[in-house]
Amino acid sequence: MKRLAPGLSWPRIEEGPIQVACHFCDALQEAPRLHEGDAAHCCRCGEMLYQNRPRSLARATAFSSAALIFMVLVHIFPSVTVDSGSVRHELTILQAANAMLREGNPLIAVGTVFFTMVAPLVLVGGLLYVSAPLRFGIALPGAKVVTRWFQLCEPWSMLEVFLFGILIALLKLGAIGDIHLGTGMWAMTGLVICTACAVAGIDRLELWDRLEIALHKHD
Amino acid sequence: MEIRSAAAEGLASCHLCGKVSPVELGHCPRCHSPLHLRKPHSLERTWCFLVASIALYFPANMLPIMSVGTIGGASHDTIMSGVLNFWKKGDFLVAVIIFSASIMIPVLKMIALCWLCFAAAGKTHTSPKNLTRLYHITELVGRWSMVDVFVVSILVALVQVGALSNVLPGPAILSFAAVVILTMFAAISFDPRLLWDQHLGRDLSDTP
Repeated sequence: MKRLAPGLSWPRIEEGPIQVACHFCDALQEAPRLHEGDAAHCCRCGEMLYQNRPRSLARATAFSSAALIFMVLVHIFPSVTVDSGSVRHELTILQAANAMLREGNPLIAVGTVFFTMVAPLVLVGGLLYVSAPLRFGIALPGAKVVTRWFQLCEPWSMLEVFLFGILIALLKLGAIGDIHLGTGMWAMTGLVICTACAVAGIDRLELWDRLEIALHKHD
Repeated sequence: MEIRSAAAEGLASCHLCGKVSPVELGHCPRCHSPLHLRKPHSLERTWCFLVASIALYFPANMLPIMSVGTIGGASHDTIMSGVLNFWKKGDFLVAVIIFSASIMIPVLKMIALCWLCFAAAGKTHTSPKNLTRLYHITELVGRWSMVDVFVVSILVALVQVGALSNVLPGPAILSFAAVVILTMFAAISFDPRLLWDQHLGRDLSDTP
């Protein structure tokens, strides 16, 4: 939704002009302040430098708390249930990992748990921990470390790949028995969407500029 | 106006928070992560991960990734034979998805990363803009190759010792997961700024 009166740029610790270097071509350039919805692009290679995303902190907070609720649902309810004759199999992420563990593939089990439970949790939980108090200009203890960790976790969070994997597995299963999609499946879809929106809600430079100000107030 | 590189001014932008500060500081004043003009040993690291992933790609494709036991006996499927089975059965969609996620994307990703490494070392003359685009794509699609590993673990969990059949993971699944993780590490340790350094006729790959 676009507002008629464009919002202000986010505050910075230094009032004077600051510089940014493009992450792709290292071109040094002045970093102008942007109105909400605007983006700054590199003048040499055209990659996006940073962006003032509308109501970023509110969005990041809202979507990451929604994602956390979905995450609980994903682990409580099975995503897929297969009835084959008298045998009934339910699938949650933990059961998929557990099956791998039992079949003698502990590394794959650990990987599955890390990529689909730990990394998304650190990403979403860390974002909530940092951005919710930042709305009031507060940085909770360890905010810097948490921000570092959730940024590092971002490429390793593969829940959307897992969701896609379920779809392919269902196509493969086909005739084996009665297949029911469960609450866990829809919760996982919601989780993937909310995680994507939460991460897209806030710009990295903005987050660090705001963090810097919040931390400065403490000193 | 001439555009200057940050490195030419002795300035480094922090890998984590993006703040530009003099490289002599050693650590970013804002987030305390180490400052470098370029990612340290970027090309060497990328090559190491790349060679390891290429080596593991062979067992990943030659060993069975999953075996399906039925009343009539067990059948072992490699990635390619799984794709061919689906194609023969007429499941073109599944065949194409698995083929692109498990065979095409990893191979294209390795070729792309090799090309990027050669370009960053000054061996080819492609425009850095296109190479940056190539880097974006390799970063974006890399994790989707993991889908095959997840599919096998989902199938193992869903079809345990059912009445009809049971599915067991094969030895290839570990090497395939390693291929995906190693190519992701290779993409992360590659520094796209080296492409522009080459284009502008400078070599900063050994700078701190």
